Amino acid sequence: MALMELASLEKSLGFKKANKYSTQGNNKTPILQSNKGAPLIGLVTIASHLVQEAAQPELLGRTAEQRAVVRQWLEYRVTQLDGCPKEDIRSILKELNQYLEDKVYLAGSDFTLADILLYYGVHHIMADLSVQEKEQHMNLSRWFDHIQHYPGIRQHLPLVVVLRNRLYTGGHH
Amino acid sequence: MTDEDDFAEDRYGVPPMLQSQARLDRVLVRVQDLTAEKAGQLLWVRARIHTSRAKGKQCFLVLRQQQFNVQALVAVGDRASKQMVKFAANITKESIVDVEGVVRKVEQKIESCTQQDVELHIERIFVVSQAEPRLPLQLEDAVRPEGEGDEEGRATVNQDTRLDNRVIDLRTTTSQAIFRLQSGVCQLFRDTLTSKGFVEIQTPKIISAASEGGANVFTVSYFKTSAYLAQSPQLYKQMCICADFDKVFCVGPVFRAEDSNTHRHLTEFVGLDIEMTFNYHYHEVVESIADTMVQIFKGLRDRYEFQTEIQTVNKQYPSEPFKFLEPTLRLEYWEAVAMLRQAGVEMGDEDDLSTPNEKLLGRLVKEKYDTDFYVLDKYPLAVRPFYTMPDPSNPKYSNSYDMFMRGEEILSGAQRVHDAELLTERALHHNIDLEKIKAYIDSFRFGAPPHAGGGIGLERVTMLYLGLHNVRQTSMFPRDPKRLTP
Repeated sequence: MALMELASLEKSLGFKKANKYSTQGNNKTPILQSNKGAPLIGLVTIASHLVQEAAQPELLGRTAEQRAVVRQWLEYRVTQLDGCPKEDIRSILKELNQYLEDKVYLAGSDFTLADILLYYGVHHIMADLSVQEKEQHMNLSRWFDHIQHYPGIRQHLPLVVVLRNRLYTGGHH
Repeated sequence: MTDEDDFAEDRYGVPPMLQSQARLDRVLVRVQDLTAEKAGQLLWVRARIHTSRAKGKQCFLVLRQQQFNVQALVAVGDRASKQMVKFAANITKESIVDVEGVVRKVEQKIESCTQQDVELHIERIFVVSQAEPRLPLQLEDAVRPEGEGDEEGRATVNQDTRLDNRVIDLRTTTSQAIFRLQSGVCQLFRDTLTSKGFVEIQTPKIISAASEGGANVFTVSYFKTSAYLAQSPQLYKQMCICADFDKVFCVGPVFRAEDSNTHRHLTEFVGLDIEMTFNYHYHEVVESIADTMVQIFKGLRDRYEFQTEIQTVNKQYPSEPFKFLEPTLRLEYWEAVAMLRQAGVEMGDEDDLSTPNEKLLGRLVKEKYDTDFYVLDKYPLAVRPFYTMPDPSNPKYSNSYDMFMRGEEILSGAQRVHDAELLTERALHHNIDLEKIKAYIDSFRFGAPPHAGGGIGLERVTMLYLGLHNVRQTSMFPRDPKRLTP
């Protein structure tokens, strides 16, 4: 899973040649052998490295505050989102929905690596939501639809339909 | 037991049980007629004690008669003694009483009663039929909206308790309104069809062969053999058509032994069934059925008595008013599949619609066309019963249709196969034992007209029109896999 993600990320960053990855442990943590010494271990570490290599450091945040926010969400992806038990999905969706109420992207008004990796991480959950559930998490759906249409990001993942019109208004039926 | 003489002792009490001892020529006024116009009049009312509250020298009562209630007052004075007030305060709730009183106008509207402009000053009060003191459920709790119950921590009554004590539950204003409305649906169905030239028929319910397929049928012992309870009047409706009755309808019970414990399934329900011949195209029938439904909706919407019932129900169960288009919206199956796919649903061209997909489709149709009622035409042949006429130009589809209210199916119908040979072929294709349906197939051998029809469930139509969420609310004594009483 993580390997496919990294491959997609490479493509969207414009890498001509794909890197070779290996994995370790039960979680299949990705490892990238580096020419310059210690291997890079872990999705976030490798992804950040790729961004630097692609000379797009702004994807990690433009200001110190923004960089901290990006790192916070990257950490969220790996610690809270990945492998989360079914009972927690509801609260994660609520949390993301609430957070995104007044922001275009996770880091505010700039597109960053946090958006890319959160998109990959939440895709399988969004794909299984009903139309009504997607409508209940309006902000999250709006952000998700925006990111999946971002040039070069979706890659191998299927498009998740997010309807433009509200079907479930406030009333009962 | 009293210190002083009771000067009013002949003006209250519990008379002997009413065994038709004497035929009193007394006028009993209906509670709904207690209005300001009657102010100053002394009259008799028979009603139930809804609530009673004693306060010193006075006792306030609320007298209830079906959906209507009025405030009443017994006060110590020249007409009522202390003992009489005490007696009134101790009458158990739900007891039926005869009261004689004077209608008086009130300055401030009594918001909690239906009769808001008057109250009744009681001069005589007698208990006609006493209720036991411990009621299985409290009527105020039974009409409390769910949300209000949660918010204010007050009790509401759950469905099982209601159904176990149905007689009391049916006394509530909401239940009275629901079932009067249901009676209206039935009445409008009959009136509309009769004016269209239909004849009402009655069909047998004890039959020799399962009409819709063997799985969901109740078996009964029939002398030395077995018989079945009819799953629909389908076969007999059609036989009437072959017997030249042209346009028929029937209202009667339908029995389905389906072990479905859902909000919309009952094992016994009332079927409103229609069957009619047509000249050249089954759409003549579709339009007639759809128009019948529209006349029912209009009758419920426009007639004054039904408007009050709908408002009463909405007090406890708020919902959006029911919307429909004229002429009725008709979509074809392939269009519906396309709409669903656009919304992200994956399904095959010939797949049946699952209940969640039906509901989603209902939402999409509502959003696009602003209607709660529509016809879905040209279902795939594979998912319809054996007697459905295939589409003439595309063998994968059929001349069959469903009708939906608020995204839930209320009618399933089709052009029927009226040719004995084709019918036999279709039956074999569905692995049906021809012996069991020999009489049915035979009815088409001697000149059968082309015909179509459909059947609706009375309880479901009422439930969906009102925007309720469980068919047991619109079935007086519902039957489901877990319930056989009351």
